[in-house]
Amino acid sequence: MKSTTVHRFILFILSVLLLGRGVVSNSEPAAPVKQFFEKHGARESGHTNNWAVLVCSSRYWFNYRHMANALGMYRTVKRLGIPDSNIILMLADDAACNPRNKFAGCVYSNTGNYLDLYGDNIEVDYRGYEVTVENFLRVLTGRMDSSVPRSKRLLTDDRSNIFVYMTGHGGNEFLKFQDNEEISAFDIADAFEQMWQKKRYNEIFFMVDTCQANTMFSKFYSPNILATGSSEIHENSYSHENDYDIGVAVIDKFTHYVLQFMEGINKTSQASMQDLFNTFDPKKLDSHPGVRSDLFRRPLENTLVTDFFGGVAQAEVVLPALEDAIVEPEALEPETKQRQSPTREVADTFVDPSLLATGWELPNASDVTASALRQHGGPDVDYTKLMVAAARTEIALKEPFTSTLRAWASSLLILALVSWTTVPRNRRPSEH
Amino acid sequence: MDAVSKPALAFESAFTRRSIIASYFLVIFLALPLWWKTTSIERQALPVSRVYAATGRELAFPIHVALDTRNCEVGTDTIVQEVRHHVENNGEFKQNGLSVEVSSATATANDYQVVLRPGTRDPIVDGRKVTVEVAPEHAGVAALQLADTLATLLTPYTSLRSSQAERVVTYSPRYRLAFTLLNEDAAAGNAALSWDVQNALAAQLSPLLERLSVLHNFTIESQVQYHGPLAFEPRALQVGEQIEHGLTPGDLTVFVNSAEWTLSSSVSNDPVLHFVAFIPSSKHSPLRIVDSNGLPTSSNAFILPQWGGIIIHNPQSTGIVPTLAGRPLDTIFATFRQQLSALLGVPELPPHVHARTRGVAGVTDWQLDALVRRRAAENAASAQDTLQSIVRLVAQIEDMPVGEDVKGDVQDALAALDQAYSTAPSSSTEALTFASKAQSVASRAFFNPGMLALLYFPTEHKWAVYAPLFASVTAPLLASLIREVLAWKKERKAKARGPQPVDSQRPKAE
Repeated sequence: MKSTTVHRFILFILSVLLLGRGVVSNSEPAAPVKQFFEKHGARESGHTNNWAVLVCSSRYWFNYRHMANALGMYRTVKRLGIPDSNIILMLADDAACNPRNKFAGCVYSNTGNYLDLYGDNIEVDYRGYEVTVENFLRVLTGRMDSSVPRSKRLLTDDRSNIFVYMTGHGGNEFLKFQDNEEISAFDIADAFEQMWQKKRYNEIFFMVDTCQANTMFSKFYSPNILATGSSEIHENSYSHENDYDIGVAVIDKFTHYVLQFMEGINKTSQASMQDLFNTFDPKKLDSHPGVRSDLFRRPLENTLVTDFFGGVAQAEVVLPALEDAIVEPEALEPETKQRQSPTREVADTFVDPSLLATGWELPNASDVTASALRQHGGPDVDYTKLMVAAARTEIALKEPFTSTLRAWASSLLILALVSWTTVPRNRRPSEH
Repeated sequence: MDAVSKPALAFESAFTRRSIIASYFLVIFLALPLWWKTTSIERQALPVSRVYAATGRELAFPIHVALDTRNCEVGTDTIVQEVRHHVENNGEFKQNGLSVEVSSATATANDYQVVLRPGTRDPIVDGRKVTVEVAPEHAGVAALQLADTLATLLTPYTSLRSSQAERVVTYSPRYRLAFTLLNEDAAAGNAALSWDVQNALAAQLSPLLERLSVLHNFTIESQVQYHGPLAFEPRALQVGEQIEHGLTPGDLTVFVNSAEWTLSSSVSNDPVLHFVAFIPSSKHSPLRIVDSNGLPTSSNAFILPQWGGIIIHNPQSTGIVPTLAGRPLDTIFATFRQQLSALLGVPELPPHVHARTRGVAGVTDWQLDALVRRRAAENAASAQDTLQSIVRLVAQIEDMPVGEDVKGDVQDALAALDQAYSTAPSSSTEALTFASKAQSVASRAFFNPGMLALLYFPTEHKWAVYAPLFASVTAPLLASLIREVLAWKKERKAKARGPQPVDSQRPKAE
């Protein structure tokens, strides 16, 4: 037993050393790539489409605020340009039309009823009892029955930025779904890893508003994930305000202040994620919000809020690259003419104007970009994966040992119990 | 307690008691296989070694180039030698899995033919033939020029810039094309109430779709909308005496008002490419695209990467047009065609190379072949990736079930992949078919609904759940077993000592 532990330890040390070497030797050819990217706008996130998965995992009237949280986020991402077809909204949806709701068909997130979040244009994709852990994981991993309609699917690819928002009642490393089941931090981490493996995302922004929320993202191990939560371990998240007409709390503090920040953002805003995180104030929130960015490859100052909350288009559009995306209809003239007189023999000098402006002048630079763009499965990524795998095996090797120990201890306990019950009874006849 | 000893009841014999206790254990033992069956996860063995053996394997496409130098004074052999040399030194071919073989033999139908002749005109492409003219004073570098032209024609993607690579949609065997005539506000004047979409599609788009049918299967839908407001206010521009309206590059990125425009139906799960002809309302007419300096550009169309294309149509005269047809509509659809081919990744010809007969399809054999080769290679690589990630995930996540169907799909994908590798030398189209099949089957295996892992439960949870139930059940069961065994031993001892009245059989005290 001891020798194997020593072996394992040596192996681990060796692998760490190897990884270190790999990273060093890797960084050298990456330098020009990095330079290129810095020159051409480091804000580039490389995504072409945005998706949002918004989950309210509570139901019942007294959890009104969780529904308001999710709907507030829904309204914000929609306002900032993510189409309904790219939003998966999971909502128990029993607040708006609850008999106890004084304002039938409306959900408000503030006292004074300024803004009806429910409105007349809302698309709930998973409603009521459909909001389950299983469905949530199926949405993320894409493992669906073939009969599931398009609107319920997360049809993302390696160019998608996904915003995942969860709210509900939770605890250390778990979140309750409708008082019925729980999802653990491990499940979400594994689901994200599966998404990464299948190239289902470019970047993920994970936000969770629940008690001990920061534990929910503590188990992530896949790259390109930015996460934030409302409170630390052993810390509660609190609701923001009560409405005395509605009779319950209408929104949670964390979400309230995030939404307040978002109200100042429009589709073309240049505010960064760091700006958002800077607004977190533990005094106002009564909890310590957390940010996890060690898996995220871009600096937060260069990550736009609209990279995750925004619409279709990419930030790249401000670059001159858009110029060549514009197709000039004049270029079609010779072709149309030729169609009219197909007998013409002269070779048409068809020059696509878009080409003149592009890559042919800069073949070297373009090579660099092409290789830099292969973010998925790039060498760095492989190493991190290896490292993660190594770390996991270490954990996996330790765990069975403790669990067998525990198993033996409890069986001994049961045995002791059994003998205790049997022995005195056998003695009893002799005592008589 | 009771002075009068009760007569022993029928069930109070040792045998009955023991049978009752034994029956409990019998049930437990009989239930064990059922418990085992219901709690174990079906994990079929995947062909891991075969998956890893396929790693890094690339499709190899041999390319035969027949060099025709009859019209040139230069010696055929020397120039063939030189071109060969340059081609071998060019890394781009190898990078793309092409092994180019240059010879002076006559070309067959599937070979690429290069005709070299004196002259000063730019290279002209016709079918799989390219005519390169070399000025007499440049005869020395003719071979280099030839090799260069070949490289740009055969591997057009290596010199693509990122934005171009980014706008190309990921491969799918099926696409839905959604064409929308979108009036900003038909009620406010300046609108087209219908369009002659059938004819425009047939004239402008069908030849291209036909040409690309080896790659994709297209479904087309079209609609006319009369109210599609913008989510922002275009800025007003003073052009001469006229007021025009401008869309800045920033506006273009948020042009699509997804909250209010319904641009495609969601009847299938195929990827959709959107094409929108936008007619601004009289309030915003004419609507131009301006550059970053705020000056109007001559362009009126743009592409949203991977999403589709948009053209802003400012009619010649304001007012209501009952039917949009003829020349303006043709221009719109010609633009759509260009946008579509850009989105699908049809490589553009190098700027100095011209096509002899372009036709409406506008895709030469060189371009189509390059696209097919690229898509085949992409699909094969993607299938490999998917298979590997399945294997890796199954090893990594222990609670993930692997059913018979997943195993079957993985095997099918591997078989299709093998076929793709073996057919690539003879036909790139067939290689694409197999690679695409491998990719879709591998994806199906990955997305198998049965592959959802069990939820994670910490070991503490398991004990917390099971201990209260099983501990309390096991204790009396085991206790009674031990007691019975002890009683049985005692009885046997007593028997061995000789017949003796023992009151061990008496009913238990209450």
